[in-house]
Amino acid sequence: MSAEAARQPAAGPIVDVRNVRKVYRRDAEEIVVLNGINVQVPNGEFLALMGPSGSGKTTLLNLIAGIDRPTSGEVIVAGTDVGRLSESELARWRSHNVGFIFQFYNLIPVLTALENVELPLLLTSLSKKERRERALTALKVVGLADRAGHYPRQLSGGQEQRVAIARAIVADPGVLVADEPTGDLDAKSAEEILALMESLNRDFGKTIIMVTHDPRAAEKAHTQKHLEKGVLKA
Amino acid sequence: MKFLPYILKHLRRNWVRTGSTILGMAVCIFLFCTLRTVLKAMDDARELGSVTRLVTRHAVSLVYNLPLSYEGQITQVKGVKRVAISSWFGGSLPAKKESQDKSAPDGGQPDFSKFFTNLAVEDEPYFAMHPEFSVPADEMKAFREDLRGCVIGRGLAKQFGWKVGDTFFLESFIPPYRRREGPFEFVVRGIYDADKVREPAADDRVMYFHYKYLYESTGRRVGAGLYVVELEDPKQGATVARAIDGIFENSEAETKSETEAAFRADFLAMIGNLALLLNSIGLAVIFTILLVTANTMSMAVRERRTEIAVLKTLGFTSRQVMGLILAEALTIGALGGGIGLGLSVVIMRVMTRVPAIGGFINGFPNFGPHWSVSGQGLGIALFLGLAAGLMPALAAYRSRITEMLRQV
Repeated sequence: MSAEAARQPAAGPIVDVRNVRKVYRRDAEEIVVLNGINVQVPNGEFLALMGPSGSGKTTLLNLIAGIDRPTSGEVIVAGTDVGRLSESELARWRSHNVGFIFQFYNLIPVLTALENVELPLLLTSLSKKERRERALTALKVVGLADRAGHYPRQLSGGQEQRVAIARAIVADPGVLVADEPTGDLDAKSAEEILALMESLNRDFGKTIIMVTHDPRAAEKAHTQKHLEKGVLKA
Repeated sequence: MKFLPYILKHLRRNWVRTGSTILGMAVCIFLFCTLRTVLKAMDDARELGSVTRLVTRHAVSLVYNLPLSYEGQITQVKGVKRVAISSWFGGSLPAKKESQDKSAPDGGQPDFSKFFTNLAVEDEPYFAMHPEFSVPADEMKAFREDLRGCVIGRGLAKQFGWKVGDTFFLESFIPPYRRREGPFEFVVRGIYDADKVREPAADDRVMYFHYKYLYESTGRRVGAGLYVVELEDPKQGATVARAIDGIFENSEAETKSETEAAFRADFLAMIGNLALLLNSIGLAVIFTILLVTANTMSMAVRERRTEIAVLKTLGFTSRQVMGLILAEALTIGALGGGIGLGLSVVIMRVMTRVPAIGGFINGFPNFGPHWSVSGQGLGIALFLGLAAGLMPALAAYRSRITEMLRQV
């Protein structure tokens, strides 16, 4: 299945999850993680996915980000049915359409903040100078341009997460997915990260889907949805 | 190329591990290149050598001398132009007369660290059949007029700083060539130049002296180490060799006649199956380094599972991730190979100047770095890097993002 064939009309929600089921198998045992999930996320939405551990929040986030595939159903993001793309098509699609923010930042320790942010741009045809300029702009957006030459070990947790956010937005994707982005931060840093995400949503029009346990974080989102035992409650 | 800084930064992540892996690879390539150079020099020594000359020696071993009466009989063989005695003296410096005194610093023993090849020859026929050695006429005349005289190669003269008129002493480690009155005294009467264009195997680090001096000084009891036979027609080599050996068949001292090249091969074979030994060492080292490097790469990749997952999440394809890991492994291979190769070149150059070893090495006509050996060395280094990185790269290729992130 080619990327062209998988592309569908862009009208409607930017994320459209249709009757998705995700089942893991362990020997003969079947573990149903998501069961008949339907969710539509309009463009420019800030959605918080909540629920207890093991409810399937991260699995749903991974399906939307195109790093996992549903057992059945369709996941259409930015007009593309991601479940129908090949591995390499999916990788290329991710690089253009989705920015991922991890709980533990996952910066590459041997690279400076600027180089970490520049990493997704290595997949583009931009020149080195253009890459550097865009990475620096992304760092400016998150307020860390002065820390461009610092390594992750020289940054605080909050700063590391901001660099990770800069890395997520540097390729200018339409959708940002965040898996408990404040889960490893103190209250003050968490507040700063949430404010930054609000700004990205409000000022840059990014659609944000955030998994969180934290009700205060969820309050920042426009919409909250709850998952329980693989089923969406509200 | 845009990924190169990324690869180099990863190599610096654990510089002790990367450094030791590169060093291991370098030692491997150093050993390979050095051993292969020795083997190549031996092969070249077998191939080179004049086709106009045969060597007739004792059929049992080079250790045994041949009767002097053979010379006349060999000369009579059809197709033989000239015959010359050549005996390997085995003399060493600086066994001076006065060092017969056991209380002398050297204890009167030969110093083998200054060992060089010295041959007792019948000068007239020997130099006539070796036109690759050129000696000024006046020096040759002086040499022929002095029983203690010797002719040395330009390389040997340079090595010991000898010039015409200098005197030195040699004492052989071969018992029949030792005499009661002490070491042999020699006077440098001539210095020869070796024409390596005419004869690639020509060695300018040899000393030639009168066989007569050896013969008379040892009580006229020693035979001929070997006979060098010049052919009238190079194409008749095999026929003449058979004819010579046929004369002495079933005698007390049967002969073995062969070309100079074959003689060199036999001489080297006295060391044992050196090629097999050196090749075995080389293979064992290469295999060990392959395991060590593969283990290092596996560890390096295992530690970076999260990063691999992050790269894939950012949009790197599985092939690109695999390519990065292979490029990293190849870089280790290339660096190790380059260092090993450089080390080998340096060591080979240094070795030629080391006493004793240098003398032996310089006896090989083509000893030194060669592009084919260097190419093989670098090729093996890259292959080792690639082979070592292949399994971790394949594991990274097959890995699934969600599984790797879950294992954090």
